Amino acid sequence: MTEIFALFVSSVLINNIILSRFLGICPFLGVSKKLDSAFGMGLAVIFVIFGASLMSYGLYYLVLVPLGIEYMKLITFILVIATFVQFTEMFIKKYIPSLYKSLGIYLPLITTNCAVLQVALDNIANEYDFINMIVYSIAVPVGFMTVLVLFATIRERLDASDVPNAFKGNPIALVVAAILALAFSAFAGLV
Amino acid sequence: MPSYIVAGLYAMCIAGIYGVLYYFNHKTPVPKGCEDLKANCEGCNISSCELHPVHENKEDLNA
Repeated sequence: MTEIFALFVSSVLINNIILSRFLGICPFLGVSKKLDSAFGMGLAVIFVIFGASLMSYGLYYLVLVPLGIEYMKLITFILVIATFVQFTEMFIKKYIPSLYKSLGIYLPLITTNCAVLQVALDNIANEYDFINMIVYSIAVPVGFMTVLVLFATIRERLDASDVPNAFKGNPIALVVAAILALAFSAFAGLV
Repeated sequence: MPSYIVAGLYAMCIAGIYGVLYYFNHKTPVPKGCEDLKANCEGCNISSCELHPVHENKEDLNA
């Protein structure tokens, strides 16, 4: 139990996928201008990473390993993510229109989010068992959403502050991200 | 059966599933009120992304 808790905390705070591994930077900078957009994107990322990890983990151990074609994992995971996003978009378009209205626009963007692929690859590379895979696949996107929402609240305040012209937009956002990364590095002593 | 043939068949199978789902997704009608959804994306430097504002400018020029 302690090991699972440590894995969760370290994935959310210490080895945060954005701040310590620099993955998913595109949505981090592109969709963090408004809090509601950041929240919607965060929810969509949690859903897609969890679903895609589950499917890719199952395919690896139930299909690729028995067939002896483990080297196909990269192309498999890319296609699984793309397929899962298409299926999810189609499903919520048809059955949950209200959810489509809030998340639908972010789903195609997630296909190109490298964090999704990294989680699927990490599950295999770290040889996680099923429980650890589930915890890791939830913790990483939760960490992604935490930082994205936190960053969005800071950027909303930055819009109202007096920033020098040369720093307006992405430059000041990157400076803030660096300070945020330093702050999060202090969690390293937690586990 | 040689491994590379199995791998080829497997890749075609997965790509086929993706193609079918892509087709059905694009055939599924968009719910009412969601026809003109726009992400509030200010744009990074990846201009090939369909949400990048550069594409809006192109559409404006073509109109």
